[in-house]
Amino acid sequence: MTVFIGWILLSAGVALYILEPVFSGRGTPSYKGDDDPYDEAVHRRRVALTALHDLEYDRATEKVVGDDYERLKAELSQEALRHLGPAKPDDGPGVAERVNQELEEEIARIRRALREGLECTVCGHVNRSGARFCGDCGQGLPAARASAGGGIPTDGTDP
Amino acid sequence: MTILGEIALWIALPAALWGAVLSFAGGRTGRSDFVLSGERTAYVLTLLLTLTSLGIIAAFLGNRYEYWYVANYSNRELGTYFKIAGLWAGQRGSLVFWTLLLSVFTSIAVFQNRRRNREFMPFVTGTLLALLSFLLLVLLFAGVNPFELVGFTPANGRGLNPQLQNYWMTIHPPTLYLGFTAFAVPFAFAVAALLTNRLDSRWIAVTRRWILLSWFFLTNGIIFGMRWAYEELGWGGYWFWDPVENASLLPWLTATAFLHSIQIQENRGMLKVWNMVLVVITFLLTIFATFLTRSGLIESVHSFAENLKIAYIFLGFMGGLIAVCAVLILHRLPSLRSENHIQSFLSRESAFLFNNLLLVGITFAVMWGTLFPLITEGFFGQKINVGPPFYNRVNVPVGLILLLLMGIGPVIAWRRASRRNLRKNFTLPAAAGLSMLVALAVSGIRHATVLATFSIAVFVMTIVVREFWKGTKTRARIAGEGNLSALRSLVRRNRHRWGGYIVHVGVVVIFTGFAGSAFDTNAVRELVPGQSATIRSAFGHEYRLVYESLSHSRPRTDDAVRENDWRWTALLTVYRGDERVKIMRPERRFYPVMDEASTEVGIRSTLLEDLYVIPRDVDLESGTERVTFEFKVLPLVPWIWCGGMIVAVGTLIGLWPVGGPRARAPASRVASGLPLSGTAGQAA
Repeated sequence: MTVFIGWILLSAGVALYILEPVFSGRGTPSYKGDDDPYDEAVHRRRVALTALHDLEYDRATEKVVGDDYERLKAELSQEALRHLGPAKPDDGPGVAERVNQELEEEIARIRRALREGLECTVCGHVNRSGARFCGDCGQGLPAARASAGGGIPTDGTDP
Repeated sequence: MTILGEIALWIALPAALWGAVLSFAGGRTGRSDFVLSGERTAYVLTLLLTLTSLGIIAAFLGNRYEYWYVANYSNRELGTYFKIAGLWAGQRGSLVFWTLLLSVFTSIAVFQNRRRNREFMPFVTGTLLALLSFLLLVLLFAGVNPFELVGFTPANGRGLNPQLQNYWMTIHPPTLYLGFTAFAVPFAFAVAALLTNRLDSRWIAVTRRWILLSWFFLTNGIIFGMRWAYEELGWGGYWFWDPVENASLLPWLTATAFLHSIQIQENRGMLKVWNMVLVVITFLLTIFATFLTRSGLIESVHSFAENLKIAYIFLGFMGGLIAVCAVLILHRLPSLRSENHIQSFLSRESAFLFNNLLLVGITFAVMWGTLFPLITEGFFGQKINVGPPFYNRVNVPVGLILLLLMGIGPVIAWRRASRRNLRKNFTLPAAAGLSMLVALAVSGIRHATVLATFSIAVFVMTIVVREFWKGTKTRARIAGEGNLSALRSLVRRNRHRWGGYIVHVGVVVIFTGFAGSAFDTNAVRELVPGQSATIRSAFGHEYRLVYESLSHSRPRTDDAVRENDWRWTALLTVYRGDERVKIMRPERRFYPVMDEASTEVGIRSTLLEDLYVIPRDVDLESGTERVTFEFKVLPLVPWIWCGGMIVAVGTLIGLWPVGGPRARAPASRVASGLPLSGTAGQAA
C-alpha cells in the first residue's frame, strides 16, 4: 500500500511539474525565437582579435617578422573589422565585449610599445624600454632619436 | 529506499519520452511552453535517476540479495566502500550510472543555457532526452533491470571480482564515464546546429568547454585505468592493448583530433564537415566503449561478460544514429562549405590537418585490431586475436610523428610559413633535438624508438619552453610587469593556447615514460626465507632483495561462509648498495568461493624508476614457504603518472572561465575597434 501511495505521489509530482507550462501556457523565460545574430560576430571578432594579439607577441618575440607579419596583420585586422557589430543600445557590455575591448587595448599597447622605438629597424630585435641602441646588432634606435627630438608621433588611435 | 528507486526508474521513462517529443515539437513550432516543459523534464530525470541510483546503493548496503544484481556483485564481506561502488560494478548498474551522469550533464547544459543559445536549446534538450529515453528503454525492457528479483533470497552474494576490489575501482570507471557522457553535450549541440542550419562556429564556441571537460575526464580516466592495471593486474605493465582499454582510447583519439580541428574552423572557417563527422564519430565511440566494456562481445581482461543481447541493441542504436547524422550532414552540405582553403603545405593549418589524419589513422588501426577477432570469427569461424606487437608496430611510428607535430604546430605560422619563419623558429629546437640524438648514440643506445622519442621530446620541450620564456619576457618588457605576473597575464589572455602547450609538455613526459620500457630488466627467482636475489637497474645500480618471511592470514571470523579471503604475505627487505631502502609486503591472495587468485605487487617508486615485485607462486605443499618471485626494474614509469598530472593541469588552465570579475567595465568604446582602424603597416 505504501509503495502504491509513493508511486502515485511521485508520479503526480513529476507530472505536475513538467506539464504545468503546457497547461498554463508559460514559456521559457527568454525564448524569443529570434536568436541574436550578434553573438556570432562578437565571437568571430574575438577569435580574430586573439589571433592579432598573439601575432603582436609573435612579432615582439621575433617569431613572425617582416612581410609575414604585415600580411598576417592585414588579414586579421580585416577579419576583425568585418565582424564589427553595432553596439547594442540597451544592454550594458557583456563579458564577451569586455574581453574584446581588453584585447584591443592590449594590442594597442603592444603596438605602441613597439612603435616607441623598441624595435630595431635593421634586425627586428625588440629592445628594453629606454634603450638607445639595439641590444642585438648595435644599431642606433630611431625612436630614441625621435623622443630626444620632442616626442613620438602617434596616429591618435591609442587610448 | 530501493523500492522508491525502482518506482523512480519506471516514472523516468515516460517522462523522458514526453520531454524529448515536446522539446523537438517546441523547437519546430516555436512554442516556448513546450520547450519549458522539455527542459523541466531534464531536471526531473536527474532527480528520478538519483533516486534510482540511491536505491541500488541502498540495496547493496542493506545486503538485499533477493536482487539479482546485488547477489551477483556483492557479499557480506565486502567493505562499504566497494558496496557503494557496486553501482558501477556490473553491466546493469553501469547503465544506470551512465544514464544518471548523462541526465546530470543534460540538466547542467539546460541550466547553463536557460538564457543563451535559445535557438539551439530545444533541439539540444530533445537530443539528450532522446538518448536518455533510449537508455531507459534498454534498462527496463532489455533484460538488464537492476531491480530484477531472483525469486528467493540467497544467504550471501557471489561477491565482487577480486581484481575490482581496489581503490582505483571507485575512481577509474566514474572518471571515464564522466568523460563519455560529457561528450553527449557537444554532440547534441552539433545535432541542433544541423537541425537549425546554424552552421557557423557558434556551436563549437558554445561547446568548447564541454569538449575540454570531456577530454579532461577521458584522459584522466584512461591514465587512472593504466595505474590500476599497473598496481592490480600484476604483470608490470600499464597497457595491454586489451579491447576494453582500446575502447576507451578510441573516443579519446577522435576527441583529441576534434580539439585541434575546431581551431581551424574557428580561425579559418575550414573543415566544417570534418568537424561534424568527428563529433558524431567521437560520440558513437563513447557508446561503443560503454557497451563493449560490459557486453562480453569481445573477450578481454575486463571480461565480466554478461549479456550479448545488449551488444546487438546498442549496435542497432549506433547504426540508427549513423544513418540519422549522415542524412543530416548530407542535407546541410551546402551550408558546411569551407570559407577558405589551405594556402600552403607549410602552415599551421596543414600541421593540424596532418595531426587529424594521424589520430584518425591510429583510431582505425586500434579499431581494426579490436574488431579483428570478431571479423575473423564472422568470416572464418575462428577467433584470431591480434596482440600488442601489432598495435606497437603500427602506433609507435605514428605516435612519434604526432609527437613531432606537437612541436611544429605551435610555432609554424598560420596560412603560409615563409622560409624565414621556419629558420627562426626551428633552428634552435632542431639543434637541441639532434644534440640529444648524438649524445644518446654516443653513449651506446641503439634502440630506434628510444632515440627518436628522446630527440623529439627535447625538440618539443625546447619549443614550448622557449615560447613561454619569450612570451613572458616580452610581456614583462611591454607591460612593465614582473616575470611572474607577466606569465600570468600572458596565459590569461589565451588560456587555450598556453594550457595546450602545458598539455603538450605532459604528453611528451608520458611518451618519454613509455620509451623507458625499452630498458626494463627482470629476474625470476625461487626463494626460501633467508635467501636473497639481486637485480640490476638500467641506470647501473643494483638492488638486493632479501626474502625474510611468509605469513598467512584469513579474515578474523569463525563463520565458515566468510572465509573467502586467504592471504599469503611475503616480507622482503630491499637494499640499494648497502643501504636499506624499503620493506615490501607483496601478497598472494586466494578467493575460494570464486576459485580465483590475485596478486598484490610490491612497488618502490623513485623519480627515475620503479622496483616492482610480483609474488608469482607460493609453494604450500612442501612446507618450505618457497615463493617464486618476479623482480622488475622499470625505468621512467613514474614519468607517465607525472606527465598525466601535467596534462590535467594544462587542461584545467584551458577550462578556466574566460573574463570574470577582473574584466573592467568599459565606457563608450565598446566595439569601436579603434586600435584596428589603422591599416596594415601604419602602426609599425
